[in-house]
Amino acid sequence: MKIRTSLPIVFTVPTMAALAILAFVPTIDAINIALQNRELSNPDSVYVGFANFRALFDDPRFLNSVWVSIKWEILTVVATMVVAIPLAVLLFEATSPNVRNALCVLFIVPALLPRVSAAFVWRFAFHPLFGLAVYPLKLITGHPVDLLADPHTAMLAVAIVDVWQWGLLFSVVIVKLLETLPPQPLEAARLDHARTWEVYAYVALPMLRGALISLVFVKMIESLRAFDLIYVMTRGGPGITTETLDMYAFSQGFIESGRISYASSMAVLMMIATTVAFTILWRRVRRWQEA
Amino acid sequence: MARGLSRLAARAIIALVAASVVVPIMWTLLSGFKNRVDIVTPTPMLFFTPTLDNFLYVLERDSVRAGLINSIIISGCSVLIGATFGLPLAYAVARYPMRFANDIQFFVLSLRFLPPVAIAIPLIVIWLDVGLYDTRLALIVTYSLLTLATTIWLAIPAFRRVPNEIEEAAFVDGYGPYAIFFLIALPIAWKSLMGAIVFSFVLVWNEFLIALMLTTSDAKTLPVVASEMTQLGRDVPWGILNASVILLSLPPLLFLGVLSSFLNSALKTRNQG
Repeated sequence: MKIRTSLPIVFTVPTMAALAILAFVPTIDAINIALQNRELSNPDSVYVGFANFRALFDDPRFLNSVWVSIKWEILTVVATMVVAIPLAVLLFEATSPNVRNALCVLFIVPALLPRVSAAFVWRFAFHPLFGLAVYPLKLITGHPVDLLADPHTAMLAVAIVDVWQWGLLFSVVIVKLLETLPPQPLEAARLDHARTWEVYAYVALPMLRGALISLVFVKMIESLRAFDLIYVMTRGGPGITTETLDMYAFSQGFIESGRISYASSMAVLMMIATTVAFTILWRRVRRWQEA
Repeated sequence: MARGLSRLAARAIIALVAASVVVPIMWTLLSGFKNRVDIVTPTPMLFFTPTLDNFLYVLERDSVRAGLINSIIISGCSVLIGATFGLPLAYAVARYPMRFANDIQFFVLSLRFLPPVAIAIPLIVIWLDVGLYDTRLALIVTYSLLTLATTIWLAIPAFRRVPNEIEEAAFVDGYGPYAIFFLIALPIAWKSLMGAIVFSFVLVWNEFLIALMLTTSDAKTLPVVASEMTQLGRDVPWGILNASVILLSLPPLLFLGVLSSFLNSALKTRNQG
């Protein structure tokens, strides 16, 4: 059926052109704004070269937000996988197909909730005076526990919500993948007296290696979008202990001072860092999956 | 015996996780029907006299109504644009040998890498400069980037799953390339394509950061309105908050069935292919 037809051009060129404009105009403009000293309240501005970028590296609050973002990224990616993989194995081992299918539908629910809603549901559950989740803690310790206001636990409490959404979704994905595996290798391992955990650690999960690596990759990208959760639950607080890069860029560009150029220089750095990191990673992922 | 025990432990853990999903959500739902005095109790209350006041109050508020209308129009239009232009592009990439097929796929994926805040900050300036800041149109255009990228990414594999033989048979029967797309490929792949479209809807319905930064009053979407309510001062109207959060969460949950079966079919073929 390979004939000469206009279809590929008609179907791709206009849409790709529109996509490219939608993507590149803001990107290039971000760089343009970052080189000026524009403020939201005042449209007049001049070019200041790299002054914004130099200022960033002398800004302790910026450096703090870089560190918070790195901590958040590692914490949520690791925790998501640590929850998802064992949970998937448990589901696959210990439930009948019908129960498993029902649970799989249930476990998608947190990920479908708007992040604003998920954040609120848990902020309500963590409320020191009448939150349901901290009620047992209150009974044990005898006084109210405010996880979100304690600098030691605030990030952990927000990360719980992130893992609640992504860890459970990923466990469903992994269960579905386990179901597609051919049963013979697993049976062979069992006949060789492998323990249950060994069957998974050495046979089943390695067979899913490519898919698991993709999931880690997806989660790394999605963990960069923590803004909604943090905005609703802590607003970067207490102090600046949960202020990630996007939260800080938002407050600089929008709430506190309207320094849109300064915020934009942060955005440009984020854009460069993530694009470079993920382009390299993506190539790697492809290679690992094929190997 | 030991096996039975570990099975029991496994089920206990699963039950605990399931409870972590059901209990907080149910608690929010229940609290939406509570009077304030029944929420701010030192011991959580399971039995109370339900009231519809919170929901009525939320639905009667102008800000919520405006947010609801904005959300419906903005997500509706951007999903429509994503599907109208994304599906043909996905089909062309899936079916026709093109020099740039891989580059197109990578470009579409790389749109996902961009931190939303990095797009939103320059867009504030751009929309301000052209006088469209805080309008539905600005959000629709911005969201179309999201819906297009998502729809294309998910629809390419869906079109690849359509058996080639069917399209070839249609060609032999005298169908042209466009007729094959509209009359054969679209209807056959429709179920998976619906999943992709619904997914893009959930994505923009739930979107918060861009909406927060690109609107101040007229074009606010429901997540922004809801988040503003959650930031209310000291005397927090918890019942009203819970009610508004439930209202916000209903539309994505309506599609739970569609998305769950989409996930199923996408993962099944992925491993065989």
